[in-house]
Amino acid sequence: MTADADRAEKLLDVGRLSVTFASPAGAVEAVRDVSLDLAPGEILAIVGESGCGKSALCRAIMKLLPASARVQADRLAVAGTDIRGLSERDMCALRGRLCSMVFQDPMTSLDPTMRIGAQIAEAVLAHEPGMKKDAVRRRVLELMDMVGIEDPPARYRLYPHDLSGGMRQRAVLAIALASRPRLLIADEPTTALDVTVQGQILDLLRDIQRGLGAGAVLVTHDLAVAARAADRTAVMYAGRIVEIGTTEEIFYDPRHPYTWGLLASLPSLAAEGRPLYAIPGMPPTLSPPPKGDAFACRNRYALAIDYDQAPPLFQVSPTHYAATWLLDPRAPAVARPVGGELHV
Amino acid sequence: MKLARRLCSLLLSLLVLSAAVFWIARLAPGDPLVSYYGQRAERMTPEQRAREEARLGLDAPIHVQYVRWLRNALHGDLGVSFKYKRDVVDVIRGRVSNTLLLGGVGFALIFSMALGLGLLCARFEGRPLDKILCKLGTLSSCIPEFWLSLLLILIFSVYLRVLPSSGAWSVDGGGAADRLRHLILPMTVVVTGHLWYYAYMIRNRLLEEVRADYVLLARSTGLGRRRVLLRHCLRNALPSYLSIMAISVPHIMGGTYVVETVFSYPGIGTLCYESARYQDYDLLMVLCLLSGAVVIVCNMLAQAINEHIDPRVRAAAAERAEADGHG
Repeated sequence: MTADADRAEKLLDVGRLSVTFASPAGAVEAVRDVSLDLAPGEILAIVGESGCGKSALCRAIMKLLPASARVQADRLAVAGTDIRGLSERDMCALRGRLCSMVFQDPMTSLDPTMRIGAQIAEAVLAHEPGMKKDAVRRRVLELMDMVGIEDPPARYRLYPHDLSGGMRQRAVLAIALASRPRLLIADEPTTALDVTVQGQILDLLRDIQRGLGAGAVLVTHDLAVAARAADRTAVMYAGRIVEIGTTEEIFYDPRHPYTWGLLASLPSLAAEGRPLYAIPGMPPTLSPPPKGDAFACRNRYALAIDYDQAPPLFQVSPTHYAATWLLDPRAPAVARPVGGELHV
Repeated sequence: MKLARRLCSLLLSLLVLSAAVFWIARLAPGDPLVSYYGQRAERMTPEQRAREEARLGLDAPIHVQYVRWLRNALHGDLGVSFKYKRDVVDVIRGRVSNTLLLGGVGFALIFSMALGLGLLCARFEGRPLDKILCKLGTLSSCIPEFWLSLLLILIFSVYLRVLPSSGAWSVDGGGAADRLRHLILPMTVVVTGHLWYYAYMIRNRLLEEVRADYVLLARSTGLGRRRVLLRHCLRNALPSYLSIMAISVPHIMGGTYVVETVFSYPGIGTLCYESARYQDYDLLMVLCLLSGAVVIVCNMLAQAINEHIDPRVRAAAAERAEADGHG
C-alpha cells in the first residue's frame, strides 16, 4: 500500500501542527509540532492539564480559531480533504458534514433565546437548505430520540433553560450530529456535568460513534474519561504530545514521567490516610516555551539533556510513542513508580 | 391584572413627579408676574403686586396651591399659560406635532442606522472598514450640536442658499415638500449627535455575543459567520438594545431641544425652555408630566418587549408571578 492510499484511509491526519497566538506579552505557542491520526470508527482521547493546548488543537482542526491565531502544519486533512488552504466559505460547506464539535459547557453552548427544536432544525438545514418543513421536523425528532432525549415532541418546544445540564449536552450532541459528520470532536464534553450524568453522556457518545461508524476525538483532563471511552490516548503537555498509544498501553505501560505523574495522582491510587499525590510545580508559560523539555523542571527523573534539548518521540511499540530521553538507549534505567500491575 | 398594577405605578410616579416639580418651580428664584404682565410688572406698587398675586392664586402656601392645582387637574383643567394667556393644552397642541416629527423621525433614523452600522462593524471586526467607521464615528460624536448647527446654516443657508435656516415652514406655506426642506438641517444635527453612540453600543454588544460558546457550536455545524450574526447574535443582543432605545427617548428628546432652539424650530423643546425660564408654572407642570409619562411608558414598553423576546426574562417573570400567587 502506498503512503498516499494509507493517508486517504485516515479520517484525520495531522502532521507537525503548530498554533501560535499573538498576544501583547509576545507570541504564545499553544500547540507545538503535534502529529496524530485517527482511523474511522476510532476514539482518540487527548488528555492534559488545562492550558496545555487541547482546545486550540481541536479548533485548529475545525478552523475555528480567532483571527489572531497563526496555524502551521505539514499535513492537516480530514477524511482525505486537505483543509489547510481552504477559505472560510469552503470550510462552512465542510463543517457539520465532515467534522463537527461538542463543547465543554452545555449551559452556554446553546442559544438561550431559541427553542431546542429550532436550534437542531437549523443545524439540519445548514447543509440541506431546501428540505421540507415536516421532513426537517421528523429528522429533528429522530436526532433527539437518538441522543436519548425522552418524549421528543414535548421537548421540541422547550428553551435551553428549561432543560437540565445533561439534557442540554444531549441537545448539543444532536446539533453536532445533525449533518451526519464523519469526525466528531468533543472538547471536554462531560466536565461541566454531574458525575452520574458524565457516565451516561460518555456511553451515549461511544454508542452513537460506534453506530455511525464515525471517528471521534475526545478531549479531557480526566484520565478516567479516557479509560472509559477511548481506543487510543494521547497525553499532551505544554502544547506537545508527550505520549501516545492505545489506551491499554498508556494505562498499563506508561513510559513518560508526566504520564506517571498523572496516573499517580488518580484518587483511586491513593492509599488510605495518605494525601493525594500531586505533580509538583506548575505548567510553564508558552510565550516563549522553555528551552529543552518543558516538563523537565517538574520531572523527578529529568536528565541533564532535558534542560537543553527537547526529546523526540521514541517508538515503544508500533502504536506506542513517548517523548522522553529516558527511552534513549544511553539513558540510565529508572524504576517506574506506576504501571505494569496498574488496573484502572 | 398586570396591566392594572403597571397603571397604578405609572399614576403614583406621576403624582410624586408633579409634587416635586410644583415645589421646585415655586422655590426657584424668579418673578412669575413678569411672565404674565411683561415689563408692566416691574412698575407695579407692592399693593398692586399683592392683588395680582392673589388673582393668579400665587399668594397661598405652596401645599395649598398644590392641592388646588391637583383638584383642578383631576377635573381636566390644567391651567392657563401666563405667557400665552391661553389654555396650556392649546399651547402645547400647536407645538407637539412639530417635535414629534423632528424627534420621532430622528429617533427612528438614529436607531435603524445605528443597528445597520453596528452590524456592519461587528461583521468586519478589526478589518479596515470597521476601523474607519469607528474613527469617523468617534469624530462625529465629538462635534458639539450647536456648532454643527451653525456650520450647516452657514454652508447651506448662507453660502449655497439651498435650505432654510430656521422655522418649520415658510410664511406662505408650501405643503409637505416645504416642511421636509425645513427638517433636513435640524434632522442632520439630531442624527449626527446621537448616531455613533448607539451604533458603537450595539457593535460592542454584538461582539460580546460573537465570543459566546453558542456561536462556536452554530459555526461548527456549518453555519456562516454572517448567518450566525444575524440569526443568533442579533437576537441575543436585541433585548438590551430595545431597552436602551426606550431609555434613550428622553435623551434624544433633550437633544432636539438644543437643536430646536438654534433653528428656532417651534416645538416642545423651545416651549419647555421658555416655561422654565419665565416661571410659566402651569405650562411647565404639564410639559414635565408629559415628559415623565413618556419616560415611564417607554420603560414599561422596553420591559414588555424584553419579556417577549428573551424567554429567560419571561420565565423569571412567570416564577415571580407564581410565587406571588402562592404568597
